[in-house]
Amino acid sequence: MDLCQYAVSVGQKRGANAIEVQCDSRIDLDAGIELGEVNSVSRSVGTEFAVRLYLGKRMGSAFTNIPTREALDEGVSMALSAAKATTEDKDWQRLPEPRTYKEIPGLWEEAVIKCEPDKVVRLTADMVKKAAAAEEGLIAAYGGSGTSIHVMAYANSSGTAVAQKLTSAYLFLAGVAPTGASMTPLVQSYDVKRGLQLDMDRVVDEVASNIRLCKKKVKANSGKFSVILHPQAYSELLQYTLLMSVRGDNVARGKSKIADKIGDTIASPILTITDDGTTPKGMHTSVADDEGVPRQRTPIIEKGVLRSFLWDTYWGNKMGVKSTGNAKRNMRQGLLEIATSNLVVGLGKRDIAEIISGVKQGYLVRNLQGAHSSNPESGDFSIVGNPAFLIENGELKGAVDGLMLAGNIYELLKNAVETAKTPHYLEGTIGPEVVFKDVQVVVKE
Amino acid sequence: MRLSGTPSPSEEGFALFDVLQKAVDVGRNLGATYVELRGEDGFIEYIQMDDGRINALTQRIERGVAVRVLADGAWGFVTTSELDVLDKAVRDAYSMAKAAAPTRHEPIKIAETKPYKDTADIKMKRDPRSVPVAEKIRYMEQMTKVIRDYDSRITAVTVKVRTASGLKYVVTSEGTQIRSRQLLVWVYPWVTAKEGARLSAARFEEASTHQGWEYMEKVATPEFVGQQAARKAKLQLEGVPAKAGSFPCVLGPRVIGVLAHEALGHLSEADLTANSAFAGKLGQVVAAEGVYMTDDGTIPGEIGSAKYDDEGTPTSRVEIIRNSVLTELLTNREYAAKNGLRPTGNARAESYLFPPIIRMRNTYFERGDATEDEMLEGIDFGYYCADFRAGQAQTNASFQVGIQEAYEVVNGKIGRPITDLSISGIATDSLFKIELISRKEFPFENGRCGKGQEALVGSGGPDIRFSKGGITFGGKT
Repeated sequence: MDLCQYAVSVGQKRGANAIEVQCDSRIDLDAGIELGEVNSVSRSVGTEFAVRLYLGKRMGSAFTNIPTREALDEGVSMALSAAKATTEDKDWQRLPEPRTYKEIPGLWEEAVIKCEPDKVVRLTADMVKKAAAAEEGLIAAYGGSGTSIHVMAYANSSGTAVAQKLTSAYLFLAGVAPTGASMTPLVQSYDVKRGLQLDMDRVVDEVASNIRLCKKKVKANSGKFSVILHPQAYSELLQYTLLMSVRGDNVARGKSKIADKIGDTIASPILTITDDGTTPKGMHTSVADDEGVPRQRTPIIEKGVLRSFLWDTYWGNKMGVKSTGNAKRNMRQGLLEIATSNLVVGLGKRDIAEIISGVKQGYLVRNLQGAHSSNPESGDFSIVGNPAFLIENGELKGAVDGLMLAGNIYELLKNAVETAKTPHYLEGTIGPEVVFKDVQVVVKE
Repeated sequence: MRLSGTPSPSEEGFALFDVLQKAVDVGRNLGATYVELRGEDGFIEYIQMDDGRINALTQRIERGVAVRVLADGAWGFVTTSELDVLDKAVRDAYSMAKAAAPTRHEPIKIAETKPYKDTADIKMKRDPRSVPVAEKIRYMEQMTKVIRDYDSRITAVTVKVRTASGLKYVVTSEGTQIRSRQLLVWVYPWVTAKEGARLSAARFEEASTHQGWEYMEKVATPEFVGQQAARKAKLQLEGVPAKAGSFPCVLGPRVIGVLAHEALGHLSEADLTANSAFAGKLGQVVAAEGVYMTDDGTIPGEIGSAKYDDEGTPTSRVEIIRNSVLTELLTNREYAAKNGLRPTGNARAESYLFPPIIRMRNTYFERGDATEDEMLEGIDFGYYCADFRAGQAQTNASFQVGIQEAYEVVNGKIGRPITDLSISGIATDSLFKIELISRKEFPFENGRCGKGQEALVGSGGPDIRFSKGGITFGGKT
């Protein structure tokens, strides 16, 4: 924080009418798996500073990974040079004003700081061993475990100053198994928490049970069917479609198909989707966003009705609304964008097993290929579910190769018919499986 | 940014070799099997313009070192930006390798290669570092104007420019000392068009790692790049929905290239092969007769080309599929030793923040003998796919390619444009459905591949025709 405030004062002395400085300091420790063995242990230590300043309404930014006053002096100089070279942004108004921050419990665990390389190696080796024993032929192809210690500070010339520290630890397993002439798709599962209480058995069991199903190849039919999407699958699809359209910058720039739909029903009444940067169990939870604005809970869709878009300070000021605490900074590029924190999807009443038992014919899709090739503006998607499982008469029958799902996100959201009752805690998403009816399914002939 | 008290990149040249070599010696004295230090010192720049407004303009000098140590059959890897504590970084990497080693059943070995002492330079006319920011902004403004002027229905334009210019070093305990020039000029427009409630979007991308800013003046001009992106967004707006199912189709150079990359190239990366549908298939027929697919890191001027890889191995031409037979895999030194193959020079790291892993360079299908007229002849109804948005592959050979420019083929003729869709298939099946391969020359498409870290890759191929059953179209009707 001292260095951030130092750089702010340097910028002001050199003529910047507004300046903000963010510092990210990280220590990451990882043990990685390749081909069923612990392959490497790595440690990455780094401190990064992003400087963004204004000369009048001209913006310039800079980056340094050297935590010294000299380096920050040079960073401010580079940002000033950039600002002098650029054009005026008439819409820029001001940086965030000082705010009060709420304490969020559980974001920091001392045990993570004390975790040494031999501990993550042991965890990783145990997971590999358990995976091999859990299912015949299962190879822990990739994965590992690790810890992260993250200290952030932000200061600006309006008097905003906030520092926060976060820890996290993870277990990640990606497994495959031979299927005669070929191989199963890569099946992944992970657990990520603020502390070291990681659920290895759950991770291994998820991969093993899915690999077991993937070994059974079944034929399927094209047409319109019920499709259950695992949160791993729909969170990716939403990220490249709906969530691009709720970004305030896209709303303001005419890039959102739902820009004029606040208060309208855009999804099934069973769907409630919230952006929550304050939930203690969220891995994207923090006290403040990347421009020092307190995180908050923002309802996006409530019982099918579009309630809010997501904003940062720049676009909020331009459009006359308040920031929702969703600014995300790409430190090295100096780019400030609007991004979700934790996407929270409302829960239903029935267990997923009970839901599946009631499906006569449909599919369970655990992961997607190609969600990133969706059209964020129109919401059109055409993607592959992989792994994707056929459900017949309430039973999971086996995996379908090359199962495509095609449609438009706004039609899909209206076709949601049920959410399961138990959430999965993923990185950036907390939600249950969601059932959609009448989804266009195309299978390989 | 520069460390205070350290010399500038222009002065230091081989002085950094000495710093890295001393740290290598620390690792060797500890008893490590292999020590590798990769240093970088360079200028990196990112500019983003949204509808004429500069949203980001960051220039930086970044210096850092990646330390990789093989000890007792396991890897330890540490990255640091502090050159005065490299001894400690090497000791850390060594102790981490030692921590991992007891769990291994099979110690990691690396294939032998000849150590090189060399300088790999690039002759450019305009170092992007010396090009004034104002000139770059004018380039972006001009591109925005070209796009806006193309069609009145275009409503939003984002233009991104990245440049890099610097030096990178590889020093190993085996005596390798290589200094290479790092260079990048890259442009990426994203265009949105709107008519009524209908929205469309398209992107284009051009880049060079072998030419300076002159590439943007002569090849990736605002007119060329801007018109490509604008034209695709317009076609999307005017297109008809694609049908769902399998149809005969011809995939053009940009799409067949991404298929070569996604569907086959990844399966041929030796670290992925063992877990993929290509496992154990070396020497076996994997495609229709007459199919040749190659990855070549030695083609002058192409984006994935370099003299050496990030382990100091010379790059090479790898004949992955030769007349339908899976012939060779892409390797680094570890996987070359594991599989008894030659190191092909495909170890690449995005930057000092990442360890080198097996990556493609310029991946393509070789030309065939079909004439242009033959390619669409006899197709009553099908598709011609001209450009993609993105793609993704899986270990079971399942591929997906999002298409942003495609046309109906009706009675052997190109017809109406179609809106967004994607194509998919199981590569190991689709390869047997290849019917015709064009003899026509093709350009490479310059793109980026993500495999936990970014690599700049070229991909391409001639027009290739697939019979019904080879490619599935994820259309809506």
